[in-house]
Amino acid sequence: MKSILKLVFVIFITIIVIFPVIWIISTSIKNPIDIFTIPPELVPPNMTIDHYSILFNELGFLEYIRNSIIVTVSTVIVSLSIGMLAAYSLARFKLPHNLNYQISFWVLSTRMFPPIVTIIPLFSMLRLFHLINSRTGLIIAYTAFNLPFAVWMMRGFFAEIPKELEDAAMVDGYSRMGAFWNIIVPIARPGIIATAIFILIMSWNEFLFALILAQTKVSATLPIGVASNVTQYQILWGRLSASGVIAMAPVLIFAFLVQKHLVRGMSMGAIKG
Amino acid sequence: MNLKALSRWTEKELKYLLLVPTILLLLILTVYPLIFAIIASLHTINIRTGERSFVGLKNFIQIISDNLFWNALKNTAIYSGVGVTVEFAFGLGLALLLNTRLAGRNIFRALLLTPMMLPPIVVAVIFKIMYIPDFGVLNYLLGLIGIKGMIWEASVKTALFSLIILDIWEWTPFMFLILLAGLQAIPTDPYEAAIVDGANKFQIFKFITWPLLIPAVLIALLLRLMDTLRIFDQVFIMTGGGPANATETISLYIYRHAFRFSNIGYATAMSFIMLIITVIISNVFINRLKAEEVFTL
Repeated sequence: MKSILKLVFVIFITIIVIFPVIWIISTSIKNPIDIFTIPPELVPPNMTIDHYSILFNELGFLEYIRNSIIVTVSTVIVSLSIGMLAAYSLARFKLPHNLNYQISFWVLSTRMFPPIVTIIPLFSMLRLFHLINSRTGLIIAYTAFNLPFAVWMMRGFFAEIPKELEDAAMVDGYSRMGAFWNIIVPIARPGIIATAIFILIMSWNEFLFALILAQTKVSATLPIGVASNVTQYQILWGRLSASGVIAMAPVLIFAFLVQKHLVRGMSMGAIKG
Repeated sequence: MNLKALSRWTEKELKYLLLVPTILLLLILTVYPLIFAIIASLHTINIRTGERSFVGLKNFIQIISDNLFWNALKNTAIYSGVGVTVEFAFGLGLALLLNTRLAGRNIFRALLLTPMMLPPIVVAVIFKIMYIPDFGVLNYLLGLIGIKGMIWEASVKTALFSLIILDIWEWTPFMFLILLAGLQAIPTDPYEAAIVDGANKFQIFKFITWPLLIPAVLIALLLRLMDTLRIFDQVFIMTGGGPANATETISLYIYRHAFRFSNIGYATAMSFIMLIITVIISNVFINRLKAEEVFTL
């Protein structure tokens, strides 16, 4: 009896969590007249893909998607490669003056910096190098912001690998970096992939930096595209919801892939879930 | 220097060399903005024309008498305080209830992670659609159980509250998952000993579960507090700070001054204050976390 009640409760919670997501999908394939019916219909009586075709054909959503993909993938590659090296050093070597500890917490503390505090100096710096409204500027900003996360996550994964593995490899003639690349990285691969997907999701979703640094068609990412459908005067709900669905679809797919590492990623590696 | 000597030097100094790129980037991210903020906050700067003049502490004095700044600070504090408290209460309750073997737990977890992975912009769009007053689904559903519909984010009275509901929907699963992981990391021996000693459920929670759960509690609260204090995206889309500044948050107010009014000096002065608040709060938590030895170094 008790376990049935529990199951009913879990199903109830799940519906609350999932319903809004279903609702936006349903709205995005409704004809404009069906969006406002009493009672509201969960399954549209006449489905349409008009909203999507307007976004792609008239409002340049292919360009937003292209920019989002380029910025996201580059951010993942750059922040992983830089962060991986620092993470390895912090996980493996004993630095003097307790530097491992100091640097680790300094890296963590940068995660606490509010983006609005960083963005004004960053904006003036990027403008100096003519990197406003360019994808490169956005990639630099995102890399700086995701780096602390990359270092913290991978430091944890590397620390779990026994030291003896590299020692043995180095006896066999590998250099330190050779051992790192050929032995450690392959073993840590699941963790590295999970870290990559987290960075991917965070960059894909980012809005404030994009709003300030990338307003033109050559640089604006999907969240900017979605926001452009919210105007003060009249909101076209079908179009708006379709743009939301486009922006969230890839993230949901990737989120399922990191499920196993979710808790660890969400807590900066502090809690192993 | 020949190649061999170079490679020997590289191997010897490797532990530092590996850290160089990260440290450089983080200096640019943290130390440079800090210096910039201190200098800029003492000036009046127009970002468009490039005019800049030294004004001393004028910006800070102006902030003290700026009612809109205090309003934004108040809204942020309410958003953060109410949002995180409710999320924590719900999350802890759910975690304690469901800390058992449950049929289909993996599916449940996969579905639960949906809201927090969505782009915040999209979450705001979803709620904007559900909050539509006359034909919106939320007012309709409330009508079914006899609650009168509201105009949600369009009314001064309910706007902030409507945004907090959105935050609770988006982030309660996060609290739940972190606290559940914390609960599951607790070994079973102390419980067995307590049951042998005849402890009741409340005593078990107070003396065993809670102390061992503290690290998870701290990290969950820290990360959520930091995220709510900087809240921007959802407010920008949902209300833009309105109606009548009822949902203006610190980030939004700073953004407006910096990038709409080109008032860089004033905006950085405010961001400096925001940074100090953030550093104080996060340090309280980070020091506790250090004491609890949560981060294995």
